[in-house]
Amino acid sequence: MKINRRTKTIGWLLLSAVFLVTVTLWGCFWREEALITDFSRKNLPPCREYPFGTDFMGRDMFVRTIAGLSLSIRLGILTAAASAVFAGILGICGAVLGKAADSFVTFLIDLVMGIPHILLLILISYACGKGFFGVVVGITLTHWTSLARLLRGEVLQLKNSQYIQIASRLGMGKLQIAAKHMVCHLLPQFFTGLILLFPHAILHEASITFLGFGLSPEDAAMGVILSESMKYLATGKWWLALFPGGLLTITVLLFHVLGDSVCKLLDPGSAHE
Amino acid sequence: MTRIRKSMTVLLMAAVLTGCSQRQSNQNQEVIEGNSPGAAGQAAKDSVVVVMPPGSEPEAGFDPAYGWGAGEHAHEPLIQSTLTVTAADLSIDYDLATEMTCSEDGLLWTVDIRDDVSFTDGEALTAEDVAFTYNTLRDVSSVNDFTMLKEAVAVDSDTVEFHMTRPYSIWPYTMAVVGIVPEHAYGADYGQSPVGSGRYILKQWDKGQQVVLEANPDYYGPAPGMKKVTILFMDEDAAYAAVLSGQADLAYTAASYGEGIIDGYSLLDCETVDNRGFNLPALPRQTLKDGTVIGNDLTCDVRVRRAINLAVDRELLIENVLDGYGTPAYSVCDKMPWYYEGSQVTQNLEQAKALMEEAGWLEGKDGIREKDKIRAELEIAYPSGDSVRQAMASETANQLKALGIDTSVRGVSWEEAYTMAYRQPLMWGWGAHTPMELYNIYHTEPESGRARYSPYASRTVDQYMDEALASPDLETSYQLWKKAQWDGSAGITQDGDIPWIWLANVDHLYWVRSGLLVAEQKIHPHGHGWSVVNNVDLWSWNN
Repeated sequence: MKINRRTKTIGWLLLSAVFLVTVTLWGCFWREEALITDFSRKNLPPCREYPFGTDFMGRDMFVRTIAGLSLSIRLGILTAAASAVFAGILGICGAVLGKAADSFVTFLIDLVMGIPHILLLILISYACGKGFFGVVVGITLTHWTSLARLLRGEVLQLKNSQYIQIASRLGMGKLQIAAKHMVCHLLPQFFTGLILLFPHAILHEASITFLGFGLSPEDAAMGVILSESMKYLATGKWWLALFPGGLLTITVLLFHVLGDSVCKLLDPGSAHE
Repeated sequence: MTRIRKSMTVLLMAAVLTGCSQRQSNQNQEVIEGNSPGAAGQAAKDSVVVVMPPGSEPEAGFDPAYGWGAGEHAHEPLIQSTLTVTAADLSIDYDLATEMTCSEDGLLWTVDIRDDVSFTDGEALTAEDVAFTYNTLRDVSSVNDFTMLKEAVAVDSDTVEFHMTRPYSIWPYTMAVVGIVPEHAYGADYGQSPVGSGRYILKQWDKGQQVVLEANPDYYGPAPGMKKVTILFMDEDAAYAAVLSGQADLAYTAASYGEGIIDGYSLLDCETVDNRGFNLPALPRQTLKDGTVIGNDLTCDVRVRRAINLAVDRELLIENVLDGYGTPAYSVCDKMPWYYEGSQVTQNLEQAKALMEEAGWLEGKDGIREKDKIRAELEIAYPSGDSVRQAMASETANQLKALGIDTSVRGVSWEEAYTMAYRQPLMWGWGAHTPMELYNIYHTEPESGRARYSPYASRTVDQYMDEALASPDLETSYQLWKKAQWDGSAGITQDGDIPWIWLANVDHLYWVRSGLLVAEQKIHPHGHGWSVVNNVDLWSWNN
């Protein structure tokens, strides 16, 4: 049987989706277990019983890593969805509601993009009291800009196309046009953008937690795991950083694959290749 | 590279400066010139490189008014002299003082000082300077309580009188950490370029990196053995790396780094009163007028607090968390002259369980105790970023589960920690060379009628501590401090109200280059920093 590109893409998409869903559910299930400390088994290198070893409080690093990834993915879903919706609304408003609204939205985008991402993220997270809430608000408010800019450009282009102009002349309202003629063109962009926001959100969650402005230190989160492991690298406990770091990289890559695949399948230009 | 070059320059300067008086050391210094900078400490037999945590660097400089020596982590100020010093057994000895008397009512201290002492700028140190120092500290000190001092007066050139607002028998312990500054050379930038009369002179201070101290050639006491002390400020892992690469002669470290063996270094284990323990709010949960929630419905029962004190296995905790580098703590002041020995308890889980039953907390289905349908739940907070306290809180939580209390832990920032401690346990670290610590923790504050850090109030305990402060001599006051802990019928120990549970005194660990003889250490107080160099003048190298 000949495998064409579409089948292959679907295969990749399924594979990454299955992996991500499994990790997420598995981690939810292990939420309590990841917090268990048992000092009788502390600082063990990887072995059959503890494939990722244990840390200075005798926590099973495999359980902790899966729980951490799961937390990251759930947090990623929440923040990516929220910022994508935010981006969608602002992007479309900017393009459709006239000049004043457009310049306001452009101003907002420039404002947020003008400040280094991580700096703004730290400020917002800290102001919102850190923790889960702070991280979610911080990531949501900083990650919508590029997608909003993309959607705005798309809408502006559509607005000038003939069939939209005709619809307008025929007496359709602005919102009616937006709902009927534009949304269907924007959806592929929107979904691809949303999925590609995940890795950003996850990495930024890990970064600000690593820097101490995110989740609290007993949570099983990737940033916490990695920043703790730093302290023990000097004494030769390599397993604390290697496995969680590796899995985080794989997860982010799989999200990328997922986003790419969805884009290829949905985009009219490449859907039939 | 610039840093290394800089330190080489300093070494050469040191060689020139000490060259005239010390032939021996001059030769040693010459050896260094041809040597690699990394091995400088090894070759120079009268200099030492010490690594401390970044937090030990005095932010506001070497000014006693802003915490140098007399701050949160008290230590001998080295650059300045003090009136008294604490001896090895933490009784009081004299430095500048030659005689010290206290009036019967405790309101007047008269101290005679040496008349042969001068500051490093050549001016003589007189009673005027002493009075000036204390009056300045009373007015501006941002870190210490000087409200008990009304005024310091220089009666003549070598006698100073301290007029107190209230009796304060442990004044000599305050005198042991307050460095005397020169009235003629004191100003806003004193902390940056301090002039003192102590064993060492501040030679160089590269902020964020290092402090270089040099022996004071005109010191009135025995000449310091170490002519040059370089103090580097590094994080734990950087300190470890500095030891691995042979750049430090003595570097602080933690138990988690202590398991490895480093060639040419040995591990120095210093006994401390640097304790860790947690508070148990002794009042039922309630909301104050200003909206603050205080108290805890589980720990307000004294039997529950006693049960918790009996249930924790301190030996196991020290083994698990500190790899054995610690001693069990039973009070905030273990091994101090004012410690009540009867504070010690033996772990007994059965007895602890019986106490819980007696208090009405009966075992439920899942092993967690219940009373009136309420589960026995406790959350121990710890300052996030402190892995030792995190591990201690987790281990305590594990141990309390065996007692039937569902215990969890939570990392919090210091901003929220203090208010949280009003209603739940927090993992604290204390330990100082003064009985005031007992007062700060257990004595009620007049405004609130509660102790400052954790809701608790006992008139008996207050009374003993007030009497201790009012007693005219230290010996009597020690007895009263002990009675405040337990007088036979009331107190703060296991048989008393036990509003705080003390777990362990954390040993201070250092990597020491072989050949360096570190003089005998006093029991270290809280703070893993300057205490170790209190007697750096007595250290030596063994060839």
